[in-house]
Amino acid sequence: MTQKAQGLSDRLCDAADNFIKHIGHIVMWGNGILILVIILQVILRYGFGKGLVMLEELQWHLYGLGIMIGASYALVTDSHIRVDIIQAGMTQKWKNRWELFGIIFLLLPFAFVIFDKSLDFFYESFRVNESSDAPLGLPFRWIIKCVIPVSFALLILAAISRSVRILNSMLKGRSDGNR
Amino acid sequence: EEKPVLLKVPTTFAAALPGLGTTTTWIAERIELASNGSLKMKIYEPGTLVAPFEILDAVSTGKVNAGYGISGYWEGKMPGSSVFSTIPFGPEAGEFLAWMYYGNGRKLYQKMYDDAGFNVHVIPCGIIAPESGGWFKKEINTVEDIKGLKIRYYGLGGKVLQKLGASVSLIPGGEIFAALEKNAIDATEFSMPAIDTRLGFYKIVKMNYFPGWHQQATLFELLINKNTWNSMSPSQQMLMEIICKAATADAFAFTEAIQAKAMVENVEKHGVQNKYYSKEILAAFEKAWYEVADELSTTSPFFKETWEDLKAFRSEYAMWTNYAFLPRGLDK
Amino acid sequence: METGDYFVIAMFLTFVGFLFTGFPVAWVLGGVAVLFTLIATISDTWFGTMTGLDYLTLGMSVNRIFKYMDNWVLVALPMFIFMGLMLDKSGIAEKMMESMQELFGKINGGLAVTVTVIGIVLAASTGIIGASVVLLGLLSLPAMINQGYSKTLALGTIASAGTLGILIPPSIMLVIMADQLGLSVGDLFMGAVIPGLLLGVLYILYILIFSWLKPSAAPISKDRRPIEWRMILDVFKTILPPVLLIIAVLGSIFAGITTPTEASGVGALGATILAWYNKRLNFSVVVDVMKGCFNTTAYIFAIFLGATTFALVLRCLGGDEFIERILTGIPFGPHGILLIILGCVFLLGFFLDWIEITLIILPLVAPIISTLGFSINGFGVVSNPELLWFVILVAVTLQTSFLTPPVGFALFYLKGVCPPEIKLIHIYKGVVPFIILQLIGLFLVIIWPELVTWLPAFVYK
Ligand code: NA
Ligand code: NA
Repeated sequence: MTQKAQGLSDRLCDAADNFIKHIGHIVMWGNGILILVIILQVILRYGFGKGLVMLEELQWHLYGLGIMIGASYALVTDSHIRVDIIQAGMTQKWKNRWELFGIIFLLLPFAFVIFDKSLDFFYESFRVNESSDAPLGLPFRWIIKCVIPVSFALLILAAISRSVRILNSMLKGRSDGNR
Repeated sequence: EEKPVLLKVPTTFAAALPGLGTTTTWIAERIELASNGSLKMKIYEPGTLVAPFEILDAVSTGKVNAGYGISGYWEGKMPGSSVFSTIPFGPEAGEFLAWMYYGNGRKLYQKMYDDAGFNVHVIPCGIIAPESGGWFKKEINTVEDIKGLKIRYYGLGGKVLQKLGASVSLIPGGEIFAALEKNAIDATEFSMPAIDTRLGFYKIVKMNYFPGWHQQATLFELLINKNTWNSMSPSQQMLMEIICKAATADAFAFTEAIQAKAMVENVEKHGVQNKYYSKEILAAFEKAWYEVADELSTTSPFFKETWEDLKAFRSEYAMWTNYAFLPRGLDK
Repeated sequence: METGDYFVIAMFLTFVGFLFTGFPVAWVLGGVAVLFTLIATISDTWFGTMTGLDYLTLGMSVNRIFKYMDNWVLVALPMFIFMGLMLDKSGIAEKMMESMQELFGKINGGLAVTVTVIGIVLAASTGIIGASVVLLGLLSLPAMINQGYSKTLALGTIASAGTLGILIPPSIMLVIMADQLGLSVGDLFMGAVIPGLLLGVLYILYILIFSWLKPSAAPISKDRRPIEWRMILDVFKTILPPVLLIIAVLGSIFAGITTPTEASGVGALGATILAWYNKRLNFSVVVDVMKGCFNTTAYIFAIFLGATTFALVLRCLGGDEFIERILTGIPFGPHGILLIILGCVFLLGFFLDWIEITLIILPLVAPIISTLGFSINGFGVVSNPELLWFVILVAVTLQTSFLTPPVGFALFYLKGVCPPEIKLIHIYKGVVPFIILQLIGLFLVIIWPELVTWLPAFVYK
């Protein structure tokens, strides 16, 4: 690869990572809203003796959104949990090789399968305009189901970006593959 | 020409629960022998393959070729679907099966899935005896006592109590005990006496009310992916139908057989009082139920169609009910 | 052995092999599952095996992932993480820890004992293993490191005390177990109390003895003051607000006033108000906490995503039958069979989440246990005392398993909130003594089943 191509791909990776981070920085406030929703429910339940199924469901909608979208964010910030016992003694070159291997043969296939299959899953729900199973629950269950394909598309984007960076740094012979 | 078929069957109730879970095991133990090995069934405990509420999606899309449970679990996808599992003030097992097999029941049941675009073949597969009408901490003497009650109640019956001013939730079976103990709920229903006993409600609440006005009979279903069903030979299909009918008889007999003993034990060993709802309360429940059914008819076309058909069947059957049976229970 | 068995064994080995490359646990779990689906499909097509596993079947993992999303119990997890991060980033947690240990005076290890006690209180209020480990780690690790505690003692204490949460009621694990076996949740909760407290006491004794033998590993705070009324009053003043918060949150769950989810939300808001009251709250702290909470929750759940797919594939390959054959072919007497069953549970704890293990093992072995003829004293009150005792043994074993290297979910969660200079190997070393304590506790419950059955009999007499 020429230097120019590398520069371009670096910029594309930056753009992808920044995009994911921006989404994360918006979605992360969901936890703040979650606190408020829970407080509202507590006030209603203990102050007015009312429990609202809708509020309870809204809680897991917010939580579900956070945990799923977060997967790609945690990949960009490189904070997924690793067993770093052997890795600690590896050279950077081998670390990069294993990382690239892992992304291509473990992460990407997994992310692709879930992404592909979740499209059907979402569509089936959308088709029958699924709502909550509870009589007084939230309508439009397919909206939250749609979070699965979206979050795994972001995860695939983050994984590709990360692998391009590692590839670049391996080609350049740089020792720093992680950002 | 016939190929051996292995049905992988995720279920909605633990196999340990009498009547709710034992029926699938009963079938699985017999089908292989009866079919000379051409049909096999592998039963998966709830959640081991997919969670109960995901079974319809998994079977319809072919991720798994069969599933077992009750139609009430698909309320979110087809509002009113519980009508094929149990109906408040609805038929007892005999009348329910009469409508299902010799009325329009089965036709409408399959039509519900077809119209909603689910690629499944449904077979009624097990029916159980009446459930108990609930466990209460305090006596229920008037309809006023329902108002403000925090109660766990299933399906359409829950909607009825909600209408009468109760705050109704549908906590999963395993969490009811803790909720009762911590006063998160004042009352609950789960299933029949023999099953409720296993969950230990008698340790906290001592008043077990009858009759189970909301669940006089509960029908279970075997869902088979339609492609799988169509690939089966006529003899395999026939055998599935027959074994499900046999399972229906067996589940009914079994659940009828084990309740009285549990009720006696509740009284003698655990100090439980078995109570019977007053006529006034039952009348109020029934009135509220017809209001609920009317509301549901306006929002769900297939419920309306099914409900009208069932009502027609029942009004004809009423002649028989009125003359055929001996008075029983507390009417005697 | 059947073909499926080779697949199952190969899948476990591949998983462990890839794990040590240092690639994230979550993706190793998910990737190995996809890889073995491919292998099974090829094998079915060309080599005549009958696993029935293919791309379509693998699609069930999406339904399973959704089951983690619509789980209202787990909503408490990000909230407890938020509470922990807020107390940590606003400096309240460290101050509280430092003050509380002053009450231990000249005794080495006072801080570690404080952490354990808080761990037990936490355990009595949440039933989610990830939540208590992460919260405890955030609250107490910085304080312990600052005071010069040995990393291993600090990490071992946090991991083990944090894991007690799945044993001491309320415990979601026990709820699911009761559901599986049609047992009374009340019996299981009461049955777990004494074994759980017993383990807590063993931890505390160990910490005190170890710190006495090796004071340098658990130093006393430098600016320690002698115990006197004035000091106690000071301590009281410092810790009162955060302790009140924790008592309010945990106490309300324990008293049954609120659900864990409600309490966790109140706790998160309470911690924010506390930070504001102490003039530590500003926009950048809020952003930091939001980012940290979002990120931490995500990598904990990523493991669930991978694990649920792994478990699905394992089950489709016949993992259940494999375990069944091992368990039903055991030639020893009742106690031998019991130990082998517990051994299997322990080993599975290396690879699978407790939900999966509970689902696989319990329905399988419960009928076996009833036939072994243990006569367990139920004091005439507990119905099915054998099964109750057995389930509690399984629960203790699982809890031990989560603490045990190389694959221990509690260890991973703790690693997630540690500063980067702390490596997994430190955590591994730290938990070893506590695993031994766990085994001692397990042994005591095996030889004295009354430790389990007495309390439920007493309470529900
Ligand atoms: Na707990
Ligand atoms: Na482990």
